[in-house]
Order: sequence, then C-alpha cells, then structure tokens
Amino acid sequence: MAASTPTGIRDEGLTVEQALGAPGTPVGQSNLWKDAWRRYRRNKAAVVAGTTFLVIVLYCIVWPIISPYSGNEVDFSIAKEGPSLAHPFGTDKFGRDLFTRTAEGGRVSILIAFGATFAILAIGVVYGSISGFVGGRLDNGMMRFLDALYGLPYLPFAIITLAIIGHTDKWTMMIALSIASWFTTARIVRGQVITLKENDYVRAAKAVGARWYRILARHLLPNTLGILIIAIFLELPAVILGEAFLSFIGLGISPPDASWGAMAQEGRATYRTHPIEIVVPSIAIASLVICANFIADGLRDALDPRTKET
Amino acid sequence: MLKFIVRRIFWTIPVLLAVIFLTFMMMRQIGGNPFRHTERAVPEAVQANLERKFHVNDPWWKQYAFYVKGVATLDFGPSLVLRGQTVNDIIKEHFPKSIELGVYAFLFAIVVGVPLGMIAALRQNTWVDYSAMFFSNVFHALPSFLVATLMIYFIALKAGLLPTSGWTSWEHKLLPAIALGFAPMALFARLVRGTMLETLQQDYVRTARAKGLRYRRVVGLHVLRNSLIPVITAAGPLLGFIITGAFVIELIFNIPGIGQYYVTAVNARDYSVVMGLTVLLSVIIIIANLIVDILYGILDPRTRDART
Repeated sequence: MAASTPTGIRDEGLTVEQALGAPGTPVGQSNLWKDAWRRYRRNKAAVVAGTTFLVIVLYCIVWPIISPYSGNEVDFSIAKEGPSLAHPFGTDKFGRDLFTRTAEGGRVSILIAFGATFAILAIGVVYGSISGFVGGRLDNGMMRFLDALYGLPYLPFAIITLAIIGHTDKWTMMIALSIASWFTTARIVRGQVITLKENDYVRAAKAVGARWYRILARHLLPNTLGILIIAIFLELPAVILGEAFLSFIGLGISPPDASWGAMAQEGRATYRTHPIEIVVPSIAIASLVICANFIADGLRDALDPRTKET
Repeated sequence: MLKFIVRRIFWTIPVLLAVIFLTFMMMRQIGGNPFRHTERAVPEAVQANLERKFHVNDPWWKQYAFYVKGVATLDFGPSLVLRGQTVNDIIKEHFPKSIELGVYAFLFAIVVGVPLGMIAALRQNTWVDYSAMFFSNVFHALPSFLVATLMIYFIALKAGLLPTSGWTSWEHKLLPAIALGFAPMALFARLVRGTMLETLQQDYVRTARAKGLRYRRVVGLHVLRNSLIPVITAAGPLLGFIITGAFVIELIFNIPGIGQYYVTAVNARDYSVVMGLTVLLSVIIIIANLIVDILYGILDPRTRDART
C-alpha cells in the first residue's frame, strides 16, 4: 500500500499509481461499475461465494449433457449405492445416479428461483415506483394496502395459489412463490424513488420540460438498479427455500422430474437406511443459499456503500 | 404514548378486514364444490339444502359479510368434509401443539442465539467470533428438513437417546423444537452481534468507561439492554418464518399440529378449514406485528410518529 495521500484514496486500498495512472498519463476515468467491481473483489468471502455459485450453475447446466447416465434412468441392480467413482453421490432407491439427478434437479430449482425472483422484482418495481413517483393520496393508499398484505403468511398463500391453479409445474411454482413475497421489494423501490425524486438533477430535468415517463425511465429507475441487483440475491435464498419447503410437503413438481426440494422429499422415505438421498439435495440447496447470502453482502458493500446491515 | 397505541390498534381493524377479504377471494377461486364430489350420491333436495345451509349460492359480498361476522364472534364455521366437526374443534385440537412447538423453538433461539451473538461481539475478530459467525451463516441457510432428518438419524436412530416422532412427553418435544429453532437462533446471533458492535462504539459507553465503571458492568448495564432491541424487531418477521418451518417440522416428526393438518385440508378441498386456519395465522401475524410495534414505540420513542 502506498504512503498516505491527501486525496483519501488510501481508504479504497489503492496505490497512487492505480488511482491516478502512471505518472504522465491522463487521469484514468472511473465509473460506478468499475468502482463497484473493485470493492466487490476486496470482499474475499463474496468472491469465493460468487465463484462457487457460478460453478454450481455451470455444473447444473453442463453435467446432464456430458453425463454417461440420465437422471431418470432406473436400474435396480445398483439401487441405494454409496458414493463411488462411477457414482460420486451414490444412487437412489431406483438406482438413478444422484450426481446426474442433482444437476438436473438443480436446473429446475435454479430456473424456478430466478424466474420467481425476477417476477418479484418486476411486480415490486412497478408497484413501488408508481407509489413513490405519484405520491400523495395514491401513495398513501398503496402503502396501506401493502401494510395489510404484510400480515399474510407466506407459505399458506403459496399453497392456496397452487390449489387455485390446480396443477404444479415450473411456471405455476414461480407464480405461487412470487405472489406473497414482493412486498419488501416494492417498499425498497418506493423508498429509493422518493429519495431520488428530490434530487437536483431530477428537478433540473423537470424544469427543462422533461415528461414524467422520461424522468422515470432516464433518472429514477437506472439509479435503483444497484439496490435491485442486491435485491436479487436477497430474494433468491427465500425463494429457493420456499420452493424446497413446498416440494418437501408434497406440493412440488411431479415425478419423475424433480427439483432439489422434490428430491429431498423422495429421499425422506429412505433416510433411515440410506440418508445420502436426502443429504445431497439438501446440501445443494444450502450451498446455493449460503453463496447467495454472501454475494448479497458483497454487492451491498460494492453498490450501496452508504447503507449497512442493521 | 397512549394515543400512539390506540391509533395503532385502531389501524389493525381495516388490515384484518382486508386480509380476510383477500383470503376469501382467493379461496373462491379454487373452484370445485365439496358437495358435488362425495362418493355417496346425495338426493337433489338434500344437495340444495346443504348448499343453502353453507350459503354456496349467495353472492360473494353476502358470503363475505357472513364470514366476517363469524370471525368476529370467533366462529369459523363447520368443516365441509369432516362430519359433525367445526373448524373451531379442529383449531382447538391441533393449534395448541403448534403454539407449544413455536414457543419452544423461539425460546431455544433466544437462549442460544443471544449469548452466542454477545460472545462473538465481545471477542470480535478472534477465532470465537469467526467460528460463531461461520456456523450461524451455515445454520441460517440449512433447510430445516435436513437439520431435522440428521438429528433423527444420529440422535434418535443411531444413539437411541430420544424418540423419533410423536408429541407426548418432553423427550418427544426436544428435537422438533431445536430443529425449528435452529435458523432463528443463527439469525438472532448475527443480529445481536451486529447491534452490540455498534453499541460498543457509542459515546455513552465510552463515558461510562471513562468515569471508571467496570467493563462487565458497562456491558451488562448499557450495552446489553440496547442490543436487545433488534431481537424484538426481528420477532415479527421471525414468526412467519417459524410458521413456515412448522409445516415441515410437524410433517417430519409426525406432530398433529396446524401445519400438518393444513396440507390435508387443502388436498381434501375442505375450504372452511383452510380458510379458517389461514385467517387465524394471518391474525396471529398481524397481532404479533402490533405488539412488536408498540413495544418498539415504548423502547424507542422516536418511532412513535413515523409508524402509524
């Protein structure tokens, strides 16, 4: 680390050369995303978590393609085997290779998780930005309505939603998971929009005659992007665990296709003799959740340095 | 202060009505008539009588008004599937077990989580802190069914120390309560550590130290009291978490509580039971939030005006 400089860049963990460029060259431009990336990289836990997250996602995407087995291939002669070279996670009671099955289940779980998270963000952004942007009575009414929704227990409403739709697949699962969990995102977006609305550059835009949709699209929403990216990784764990819980109590997608939660539910039947069947998908769920938590931490430090976890 | 409490309680009424309304409208969408699918054929006249008795053909606003009246008098109506049983009977039978489970889990979370967070904060950046935070991060992420299954496998099956399922003696209640309390415990530990570190930096702590108060006394007198506020604030959202977790834990340990019955009722299309249980859970969450807000208003007067 360089000697202390009066500019305060020492706090960012940079040398003078890194911050200003080599002597004689023009001062390097630094933008929000470059700064954020640099701050993110300084958080070792977040870097490890991000890498692990990518590895898990890659494994789920690639392994089913190159695997010698199919996740639904039944072979009773090798049922309930422990881990071996041929089957790194062992096999289940139908002799299906758990390493392949976990990857295939991961595809479903991760797809549902991201789908539901984006649905939550979309609803939250629309609701929150309208409420915050319009303000006044509408804002008050919309927020009171949100207060009422906060009383809803999450899981029962997901269950009722699935009962209304009548069948469970990936898409209905996303709907069920997002229907009772967009409230927090809506509140965050509203808060951000209200804060930004009073900024000078927004007033300036208004003063020169920009229409409301231009202000919203050009000034307000881009500035909420940071907290939205954080929100993705804050919502992901809740959605992943929610899907696992729903599947575990028997309301998940139907066999032979499986998500991690559905695999754990199947494994529950044989946990007394062959516990690996429930352990493998559960550990997969937990790893993804832990990674998402640490990524969210890192992103918060990187993108929104002012706020701190309370 | 009184004004704040009264206003806050008053505001709960429209929230309750809205939640009942939402549940009610959602239940109407499920479709299917529980009387049309019974195995035994019922004569048309009896069918009509049943439908009249349960207000099946009334307009929705009449049904809603009827239902709200029932809820207000704590009468959730009869079960549509179990003959001669009312929803109140079912609640009376299953609910106390769920409450007991939730309370034990909550106690476990506080009794273990709060000291863990305190120790981690007082030994900040030592291996004690790091390992406490590592484990609480891991435990917060583990799905409760894994924790429960592993505990049954190792403690109940392999070691034979405790029974695997049921809900009769205290031995039966130990494992489910711990399994359900695991994630909240990890959350409490992290919360308490965070606020405690912040409180330790405060001027009044430095003042107390400067005037010669012993460190233990400062921690016990000033720091601890102020660090417990987030435990109260987190209690509201945690209740929802515990309800969700109870659905799974009751299933694994075969505890005849609300969560286990809820799934049965949904599959049997027993609307009045599903509706009654959902409204009940919502009311509990709303009342818990009310209590948390009032407690918070008492502990931190600054929030009284902001939260109406």
